[in-house]
This record gives sequence, C-alpha cells and structure tokens, in this order.
Amino acid sequence: MRRLGLDRAVAIARKETRQLLRDPAYLGLAVVVPLLLILLLGYQLSLDVKGLLVAVVDHDRSPWSRAYIDGVVHSEYFRLVGVLDSPEQAHEWIRSGRARVVIDIPPDFGRRLSGGLSTSVGVTVDGSFPTRGQIGAGYVEAISALYNQRLLREHLASRGAGDASPWPVQMELAVWYNPTLESKNFVVPGLLVVILMIFPPLLSALLIVRERESGTILNLYCSPAGRWDILVGKALPYVAVSFLDFLVIFAASIWLFRVRFVGEVWILSTGALLYSVCTVGLGLMISASTRSQLAAMLATFLGAVAPAFTFSGIFTPAGSLDAVGRFVSRLIPATYFMDVVRGSYLKGGGLAPYAPSLLVLALYCGVVYVAAWLALRKRLG
Amino acid sequence: MGSRLAAMIRKEWSQLFRDVPILLFVVWAFTGAVYTGGHGIGSELRNYPTLVLDLSRGPTSRELLSRFRAPYFKVVGYAESDAEVVRWLDAGRASLAVVIPADFERRAQRGNARFQVISDGSQSMSATIAGAHIASIAGRYGVELLEARLGGTGRAGLPQVDARVRVEYNPNLVETWFSGLLEVLNQVTMIAMLLAAAAMVREREHGTLEHLLVSPLRPWELFAAKVVPVVALVPLAALGSVFGIVHGVFGTPIRGSVALFYAVSVVYVFAMASLGLAIAMVARNLGQAMLLLLLILYPMMLLSGAFTPPEAMGPLMRYAGLLSPVRHYVDFGYQVLFKGNGLAYVWPDVLGILGLGVILFGISVRRFARLAR
Repeated sequence: MRRLGLDRAVAIARKETRQLLRDPAYLGLAVVVPLLLILLLGYQLSLDVKGLLVAVVDHDRSPWSRAYIDGVVHSEYFRLVGVLDSPEQAHEWIRSGRARVVIDIPPDFGRRLSGGLSTSVGVTVDGSFPTRGQIGAGYVEAISALYNQRLLREHLASRGAGDASPWPVQMELAVWYNPTLESKNFVVPGLLVVILMIFPPLLSALLIVRERESGTILNLYCSPAGRWDILVGKALPYVAVSFLDFLVIFAASIWLFRVRFVGEVWILSTGALLYSVCTVGLGLMISASTRSQLAAMLATFLGAVAPAFTFSGIFTPAGSLDAVGRFVSRLIPATYFMDVVRGSYLKGGGLAPYAPSLLVLALYCGVVYVAAWLALRKRLG
Repeated sequence: MGSRLAAMIRKEWSQLFRDVPILLFVVWAFTGAVYTGGHGIGSELRNYPTLVLDLSRGPTSRELLSRFRAPYFKVVGYAESDAEVVRWLDAGRASLAVVIPADFERRAQRGNARFQVISDGSQSMSATIAGAHIASIAGRYGVELLEARLGGTGRAGLPQVDARVRVEYNPNLVETWFSGLLEVLNQVTMIAMLLAAAAMVREREHGTLEHLLVSPLRPWELFAAKVVPVVALVPLAALGSVFGIVHGVFGTPIRGSVALFYAVSVVYVFAMASLGLAIAMVARNLGQAMLLLLLILYPMMLLSGAFTPPEAMGPLMRYAGLLSPVRHYVDFGYQVLFKGNGLAYVWPDVLGILGLGVILFGISVRRFARLAR
C-alpha cells in the first residue's frame, strides 16, 4: 500500500544532500562560481558606450570647423584619435579598427555657415557592430544639435531677432525607474536571472543520468520509491542550493553594487523560489531523457542556458525583438523571471503587476516536472 | 610510434562519431542555435515600443508625432489619460511615452512649445539612444518651424549643420548580420572546449584513464589524440554554418578569405581544446569540470568586445581581455569575414591566437606529463 507523506522523498533528498556535502569542491564551486561571475561581470561589464574612437577629416580648417571639432573633443562619448588629411586615410582607419566613426568636414563648411547657409558633415560609421554604429551616429547627431543651437542663437541675435527662441519645440525628458540611467541597475539584475539559469539546471541535469551511467539507478528502480519520490528527493537539495545562490547574489547586488531596489523582497523571493524549482526541474527533465552525462550537459547548455542568455531580455527590451525572437522569448522561463526581477528592483508596485509572470512560472514548473515524470521510466533498457 | 598515435586517434574518432546525441548537439549548435541566436542579442534601437498621449490634437502635434517612426520607434498605443500612461509603463507594454500638453499648438505659434517624454530607464542603453533620437527629432522640427516663420522676412535657410550618416559594411545596420556571425564564433569557442573536456572527463570517470597512462602512449600522443578529432570537426562545422546559415539564410555578405578563416580557426580550436583539456585534468568529475569551464568561458565571452567595445571597458578588463583568445578570435572573425581584411590587418590577432595557443598547449601537455608520472 502506498503510504501518504514524503518520507521516501525526504530519504532520497538526504542521500543527495550527503553526496553533495561530501564533495566540498563541487558544492563550493556551485556557490562560489556564481558569486565570482557576478562580481567579475557586474564590475566590469559596462554597457555604457563611452570613449568611442573617432577621427576627423577637416578640409576646412576654419574657426567654424575647429569649434565643431571642439564639441567632439569635449564629449565623454568620443575619444578623438586623430585629425586626418584624406578620406582614403579615414577609410583605412575604419577598416583597420583604429577608428569607429569618422567625421568629414567639407571645405566650404565655415564659408556657408558664416553666410547664414546650411551645410552638412559626412559621418562614416563602422557598421560591423550595429549597436555601436547606431550609438556612434546618435552621438554625432547630438553633438551637431548642440552646435546648431549655438549657431542659431548667434544668428538670431545678429539679425535682431534675439527675442525669438532658437528652439521653438523643446523636449523635457523624464526617466522613470532608473533616473540616472546607470547600466549597473540593468546589468546586475539581468545577470541574476542568467546565472540562476546556468548553474542549477547544469548541476541537476547530471543527477539521474549519472546514476544511469554508474549503474546505481538499479537501486532506485528496485526501491519502493516512486517516480515522484525520486524527482522530489533529487530536486530538493538543488533547489536549496539554487535559492542560496539567489540570496548570495541578491545580497551582493544590494550591498556591494548598491543597485536600486524599490520592490518587495517577498515577491522577488517567491519568484526566485519558483524559478529555482523550475530550472532544477528542467535539468531533471533533461537528465531523465538522456543516456550520457555529456549529452545531458550539452542539451542543458544549448536548450536552457544559451536561450536564457540570448532571449531573456538581458540586453534587449523584449519589445524590440523580431517575431522569431519574441516567440522564443515567450517559451523560456527566464523571460518571466526577468519580468519579476527587473520590476522588483526598479519599479515596485505591489503584487498585481507580477502575478501573471509568477503564475506562468508556476505553470512552467508543473509542465517541467510532469515531463520529467513521463521521461523517468522505472525499467531497464 | 606513428601507428600508436594513429590507433589512438582512430579510437577517439570513432568514439566521437558513435555518440549520436553528441553529434546531434554539435549539428544543432551550428545550425539551429545560430539561427535563433541571430535573432536575439542586440541592444540597438528598433521598433521601440512607444505610447502616445496627445492632449493638443492639432496639426503641429500630429506633424511632430508622425516623426516617431520605423525603424526606431513603433507606436504601440494611444493613451487617454496620465493614469493610462503609468499603467502601460508599469506593465512594460511601452518603454517610452510621448505626452503632448493641451497648449502645445498655441505655444508653438509663439515659439516656446514643450512636450514631455517619459522613458523607462530600466534598459539604460536603449533609453539613452532613444533620448538622443528624440532630441534630434525635436531639434530638427523646431528648426523647420523657425525657418517657416523667418522665411517671410529674409532668405530661406538657416546656418545649420546636418550630419549625413553613412554606415560601412552594414548599411542598414541589419542586426542578424552581426549576431549570426557572433553566434558561430561563440559556438566554436564553446564546442571546442566542451568536446575536449568531455573526452578527458569520460576517461577519468570510467576509470579508463589509468589504462591509457600505463599504455606505451606518450603523454603528448594521448593529448594529440584527444584534440585531433575536435580540430578536424569544429572548424569545418563553423565553415558550414558560416555559409549555410549566416550567408545562406541571413544573407550576410562574406567578403574575406575563407581559407584564412579556416586556417586560423584550426589554430584557435586547437588552443581552446587545449584549455578544455587542462580544465578537465584539474576537475574530478564532469560536474566540477563544467563549473570550472563556465567560470572561464563566460567572462571570456562577455569581455570579448562583442558586447562592449574594448575602449569602453574598465582598464583592467581592457588589458585582461588581450589574454583571452576569444577576444582575438571575435575581432579576427569580423575583420576577415565581414570587412574582407587580409593578413595585413589581422596579423596581431593571429599572433595573439598563436601565442596563447602555444601557451595553453604547453600547460596542458605539462599537466599530462605530470599525470603520467
């Protein structure tokens, strides 16, 4: 007769815990590696694009062109690497990567501006890294806008129309959630999501297939433990490790990185717990359906870790993914946890905005464990 | 001696090719993963979800709003009230809201109109780019209004500088051109390390490493036998992926020398496989090996210069990155395949890969020799 209760699952959990504790190097790595990663990447992975290498070809060499170049020099976004003589040389610099942006000032630049006429500068951007190219182009436009503003003010004053505003339409920019636009507020929570998707599933993906390789799975087959007991028993210690990872990274993000946190800890923790159950279950599902540890590891890597990195929105707002990207992003749990994490850190606002994502995560857990249960047959072969 | 090595290589080779799941994963890594990966990463501004709250509803505001257009912005909704704006931004359905006050039309006539832009700063980079774009939209529109107003009094035109942007190599800034290639280069890195490390850990876990160590095989022969199948397989798979997916599906122009790319990829895979083996020898089991691998792999990939340009990194990482073969390989890959540069341009990268390869190879073989003693 099947007894009620969890004691069989608990017994398996105790065995797994003991196994985990007996390999301190392994356990140490499982906690220390995520911490090291967040320290290393959190401090060094800045997404702020500053100091882009820019070269200028000045055909004009007038006070006007020098004033324009001054604007480039004084911008923190650019580092002027040289004033060149010929467009060919500029092309060469872009090609070799010595400059990412080249600004070409035409010979009649100063003459036209002093005559009250409009002119243009040629901006050549290295497009091999599109984001960088777009940002570079954007910065040049911003610098031109500043220069234009000054030109207009002087021009209007000289025409005796000094009372007219040179800027009839003005934008007031309000930045919500991350007013200082610091990338750490965006990178560190994103890393939390990705790191929790790397280690727990990779570790749990070895759990069942390892026993299969070493033959000890027969012990489980012969034991009275049911499939659910095995899954729950194996999952529990690893969910605990994963949650521990979460706590460590969370603490680091608050006290070390001083990331803004305006939400509720319990909502984030609930999300992290669901996510941990889910990621460990994903590993178990893969583990139950593969035949070698190596295959399990690769499957987890390509099926769980890599998509989380690419599609969870750590670098891209989900809204700007294309159709394929959006579709994939809706299929992976990291997207939903990212929602809860970014929201909890930067937006807050109670449970209501995050309830749907939490619900999807819970559903995901159910699906993953049922799939693992189906894949885990108690039979030989 | 030659036959010994050949026999060992044959053993590794057939072991690799008998492992169907592994082969399937290698195939997926260079096809499906590259295809999906090509659609993912990228933080450039595209179809930025924008919400509009227009309280003025005049011709001036309509004209201004019409300039929020593709490819940068995509208007996803029209709000009726402030509360609605808050709801859309809180839910993350829009990342940007443009609010035009009721007196916009009237003040535009007088030359001091204002409108408000509320930006979701949680994606700080996109928010920064979006802000810059809107500033230039507003600036340009303002100049047009001014020109129209002053047009009657004097000659048309105002002293203005227009930045005419031309993008080399990728004129339309197609993201998949970039990220597809990056995905291939990253897969080369990962698969080379994983396959080599796995081949070693497998021997250790099955206890067959001892057999090999007491066999007449020299350490370097054992080492070579583990590396050769990986070196034979991975660069070829990368070539297939570059032509099949990156060029074939994404339409990325391949401008450079394929032979050069292949040759350097062989050296690179050799270096990364050596690194994988070195890690596998430190680790006791597959789990440990994997954790160590990731600890090394992720920072190397993130600091490869593909996500953040090297010049924007902290000085520590900028120089540490030079010690990472990944950094050289990514730079090399883009320069050769994408820009069509030859050895005259990429020799520093090739030198870096060669040098680091020799060092990694040396470390690995030494560890092997110590193991054999």
